[in-house]
Amino acid sequence: MTQTLKVVGFICDWSVDLAPLSDGGRLREVPGVRVIRVPCSGFVRPNWLEDALNRGADGVFVTGCPYGDCLNREGNFLMRDRIDQLRRRLQRRKVDPARIGMLAFGLHDGASFLAEVKAFADRIAALPPAPPARAAGRAAVTEPAQASEGERP
Amino acid sequence: MSTVATGQASGRYARLMTSLLRGTLRLDVLVNKLYPTDFNPLYYTGGLSNLFLFTLVLSGIFLFFYYDASLGESFASVQYLTDRVPYGGIVRGVHRYAADGFIVGILLHLLRNWFTDRHLFARDNPWISGMFLLLFAGFIGFTGYQLVWDERAQLLTSMFVAMLRSIPAAGAALTRLFIGGVGISDGTLVRILFLHIGPATALYVFLWWHYVRQRHPKIWPPGVWVLFCVGLVFLLAGAVPVTRETIPAATPAASPTRFPMDVFFLIPFWLLNFLPAGVVVLLLVALFVGGLAIPYASRRETPVEMGVRHSGVAQVIDGNCTGCELCYYDCPYNAIVMVPSPGPGLSKAAANRSLLAVVIESRCVECGICIGACPFEALELPKFLERDVLRQVGEAVQA
Repeated sequence: MTQTLKVVGFICDWSVDLAPLSDGGRLREVPGVRVIRVPCSGFVRPNWLEDALNRGADGVFVTGCPYGDCLNREGNFLMRDRIDQLRRRLQRRKVDPARIGMLAFGLHDGASFLAEVKAFADRIAALPPAPPARAAGRAAVTEPAQASEGERP
Repeated sequence: MSTVATGQASGRYARLMTSLLRGTLRLDVLVNKLYPTDFNPLYYTGGLSNLFLFTLVLSGIFLFFYYDASLGESFASVQYLTDRVPYGGIVRGVHRYAADGFIVGILLHLLRNWFTDRHLFARDNPWISGMFLLLFAGFIGFTGYQLVWDERAQLLTSMFVAMLRSIPAAGAALTRLFIGGVGISDGTLVRILFLHIGPATALYVFLWWHYVRQRHPKIWPPGVWVLFCVGLVFLLAGAVPVTRETIPAATPAASPTRFPMDVFFLIPFWLLNFLPAGVVVLLLVALFVGGLAIPYASRRETPVEMGVRHSGVAQVIDGNCTGCELCYYDCPYNAIVMVPSPGPGLSKAAANRSLLAVVIESRCVECGICIGACPFEALELPKFLERDVLRQVGEAVQA
């Protein structure tokens, strides 16, 4: 089950050092997990997490620096709050909030990070299967028709 | 810091900084095992310094009411305060030990932010104002020792005058400015009192500079640490009274040659044992200027050299901005301001906006927190667009 699992992780540049842990965007030890590096955990828009679930991911998580030690001072706290909100929103849409995770680990905490990710993946594997992917979510770029710079004529 | 930087780190300085960073983070992990991360005192070194400064201001105001700035009376007024005024000795002790705590807090704060690379690039302003805060704090501590006007103060004054005199060209004038005339007189202590309180007021100006870019600065440590630190200072003041070192009052006839040391404020004067005054002055100036240069002197100067992602300053997409102020509240650097909207936006949600978000480029550190805050797709990092992220998500899900 874990083999076919698709988990997407957004990982802050300044938190866990992924160089020894990952290969081409996958965690070596937990092959079902794909990682996307972001400049700060606070950069992640909750919509993207929802989008990833809609497109067929079994779970998504965000990893920031330890709480209180965010390089940008508040990014991980903000993200934790946004994820709490998103969980409530998804619960209303009958999506299990356990599919979304927020982790916090420092640069050299690779081992405990891996353990936590494994536990997260195992929890998701134990859940009933997710509904099939919806039709590719929404368009990747939303631009208004004939958008022009500046004021409208 | 970032993974690439550790790989690319070259040169002795860079290697040293990398190992110091590793040590700092390891210490964090250890402390985090003792306390929940919200209470890790190492995350609140700045707040702790501010707490000690606040304690200093309050106890200082109390001491000020009893202090008499004149050669004949100052020592007696301090004696009176210590022995006769209820809890006077305790308050004096609190003032003394909070000052030590203040310096320790500042130094921890400085080292931590240095080792974790939080002084670089857009964050040089807090670093530079911090160096001024340290310089002023040290000077205020030194003038505090003079105010008591015992033999130590007398010796310190003559040593400081010797240091001032050793400055070429300006030395004599500076000396006259400092002691207020050719010799030490009643006016001297008035000046020193001003030099104790004036710079202390200036600390708050520098603190404004220190905080100006921060949205929610952590200026206080968690409540338990406030109680702990205040309690510790009071306990110390009671258990180890400042009067345990009995130093006689200064008299013009006395020529003291030694005094009890204080490791936090009087180290430059200890150096005078071994070095001529001019060299000590030069050393202090070099330390300060070198400190100011630290954010710029590093070999790993540019984000590219450091291997740090360079996503570009956040850009507002005018047509999508609804003026909802979410990014304005979340930006940790006060880099987003809301201005009256010059015209309606293009999207449906933005059609009736009255405000428009504007990014102040000089404050933006390219962290992207505003992108996560914006539910209307009205903000982008130019070199890491939402499109790029969603493409990566798509690849991850399909693979």
